[in-house]
Amino acid sequence: MSEFVSRVGEFLGAGSTWQGSGSIPVRLWEHLWISTLSVLIAAVVILPPAVFIAHRRKGALLASSIVNIGRAVPSFGILAIAVLWFLGVVGLGPWLAFPALIALAAPPMFTNTVAAFETVPPGVVEAARGMGMTERRIITGVELPLALPVIMEGIRIAYVQVIATATLAALVAGPGLGRFIVDGFAKRRGEGELFTGAVLVALLAVSIEMAFSAFEKMVTPMGIRRAGNER
Amino acid sequence: MSFLAQADRALIDWGWIDRNSSPITDRLIEHLYLTVLAVVIGLVISVGLSMVALRYRRAYGPITAVTNIMFTIPSLALFALLVPFTGLTVLTAEIALVSYTLLIIIRNIVAGIDGVSPAVLEAADGMGYTRRRRFWKIEIPLAMPVIVAGLRIATVTTVGLVTVSAIIGLGGLGFYILRGLQTFFWTSVLVGTAGSVVIAVAFDVGFVFLERSLTPWLQRSRP
Amino acid sequence: MRNRKRVVGAALMALALVAAACGSGDGSADVPEGPTITVASFNFNESTIMAELYAQVLEANGYPVARKLNLGNREVVKPALESGEIGLVPEYVGTLLNFLEGTPSADSESTWQAAKAEFEKTGVTLLAYAPAQDKNAYVVTAATAASLGVSSVSDLQAAASTLVFGGPPECPEREACLKGLQEVYGLDFSEFKPLDSAGPLTVAALESGDIDVALLFSTQGIIEAKGFVVLDDDKGLNPAENLVPAIRVEIVDAYGSDLVDLLDALSAKLTTEELTALNRRADVDQDDPADIARDWLTANGFLSS
Repeated sequence: MSEFVSRVGEFLGAGSTWQGSGSIPVRLWEHLWISTLSVLIAAVVILPPAVFIAHRRKGALLASSIVNIGRAVPSFGILAIAVLWFLGVVGLGPWLAFPALIALAAPPMFTNTVAAFETVPPGVVEAARGMGMTERRIITGVELPLALPVIMEGIRIAYVQVIATATLAALVAGPGLGRFIVDGFAKRRGEGELFTGAVLVALLAVSIEMAFSAFEKMVTPMGIRRAGNER
Repeated sequence: MSFLAQADRALIDWGWIDRNSSPITDRLIEHLYLTVLAVVIGLVISVGLSMVALRYRRAYGPITAVTNIMFTIPSLALFALLVPFTGLTVLTAEIALVSYTLLIIIRNIVAGIDGVSPAVLEAADGMGYTRRRRFWKIEIPLAMPVIVAGLRIATVTTVGLVTVSAIIGLGGLGFYILRGLQTFFWTSVLVGTAGSVVIAVAFDVGFVFLERSLTPWLQRSRP
Repeated sequence: MRNRKRVVGAALMALALVAAACGSGDGSADVPEGPTITVASFNFNESTIMAELYAQVLEANGYPVARKLNLGNREVVKPALESGEIGLVPEYVGTLLNFLEGTPSADSESTWQAAKAEFEKTGVTLLAYAPAQDKNAYVVTAATAASLGVSSVSDLQAAASTLVFGGPPECPEREACLKGLQEVYGLDFSEFKPLDSAGPLTVAALESGDIDVALLFSTQGIIEAKGFVVLDDDKGLNPAENLVPAIRVEIVDAYGSDLVDLLDALSAKLTTEELTALNRRADVDQDDPADIARDWLTANGFLSS
């Protein structure tokens, strides 16, 4: 145990850990932008269709079945397929991990969006329709604001999962905090590197989770928040 | 398509699959074993922790916090960190895999129990049920859909995580994903990936049926 | 009641017949009794082929064998071997001795002796080594060799600070890899990229120019197939690297000289040329290591076809 601790100290004390191309700040940044961009792409691709399907409240069963199958595909497998398929095209680098991460982020976002719309009282939607609102206005003015908290939660869940899974990129010579984990595991005196990498990923995930929760609160309209609290 | 010359080779080498049907089956069984073991142990531990959390509400926060943190430690790291202590064994894999199920199952058990309508509880009390009897005869059955939903997610998630344990020599069908990656062999990667999907979907469907059979009153009420 | 006894008796007889039939499968009268031999390999093709050679020849002679292939690098495999999780691994005398904190030389015999003595301290012994050697190769593309005008590793000294080196993640710690290149050749590369153990990622990186110098293995047919240039190890950084079975002492004790002689006979027939041919089938032709091993064992009389 004491050897373990001294190895961690060794790693944290080394200059290359804090400066240069393989340093903590660099890897942290790589990890963050890979995760964030994946979540963004997934959101742009998944949310509009999800909202549309959720609003119609039809075909949700089929769509959720497809999404469930998506959840069943192992990220590691998608990563391997992406490498074999695209290595010649994009070369070694972060891009190989994107298909797996986007596929990982999609299901929670989709599921939560559909579930969120289900919680909107049908009476409210009926009333809005009765008032003569267009379908579009109903979505943007009535359903989305009410559904927003749960949708945001779905994005948050996806974001945290992506941060944890982005470590797999290092298995295929990718960048990010996973590098510390894979390299630390491979090296003889690498426990310090491995442990630091693991802790950093966990810290990053927890930070994102907290930051996102705060963001959720900010973005939720006051009336909804109050209503939610009363429930 | 792929970088190294596989142009002369079909995407799926059925001959290879045929020749390796025995080791592939072994890995399939390994995959099932690792998954089921993790979920069962996870369920047992979760039930215990949930009952603590339901009894002593203040414990819920810390319990969730700890299991949440476990969830954020990437599986790759957790497997690697455990190796010096528990070796390249099933134990190493299971410690990690079980940890990942806890957050999901505990959260669902507690949410399920909490979701039972207060009116029903009052009625039960009114009918003279003891707390214990009420818990096992009323609350648990009513919470079943949510609990089983949690088990379903936990199981499907575990099937995926098992593949990562290939880096410590296990992996179930993930072994073929890793091997295919290291030799740029499409068939191996596809067998590993497709196999995992099949296992996950099979479990998923199984849980849907389980959900239905455990809540017959929900079936009857459907038109 | 009586019918039941007849059925049971018939079943037992049938079982006995089946057992007898199975037992005399390959003609050997006595099946060795002892612990299961778990054969393991490192995470690259050659190691898996070697492990399959050992495993299949042992199985053919009735030994109980289990496989744990593609385990990882020596950092992962050696502890497992010492703890008993695995029993038999194909090793390389030079890098093994380096790993055991010894000092290998270009002489196979003395390197093997030293490695054996050191390893036995933790309950693992080495059997006879094969003539075949697989050394680390420091490789550049033909284009790089031409443009830099290099043919040996020393030639890299001038340009090293502008070059990127690619190898397995443990490379910076290994004497026959980056550590040795720095200490013996004084090479300070601009960057090190952790890739895989001389696998497709390393080859792809070299080919695409993501790295300038790669660590590959001398027996890999892919080097020739891709037209890569192996730089001459003029300062002799690489020690002797004969293939040798590393096996737990208790397994040797349990099975005795029959087991040892069998594996020794196999090792004796393995030359560098043979090993290179086996590797080519895996790396270039993409054949399966189990098939490759089976074919070689059959061709050399260890397996009846």
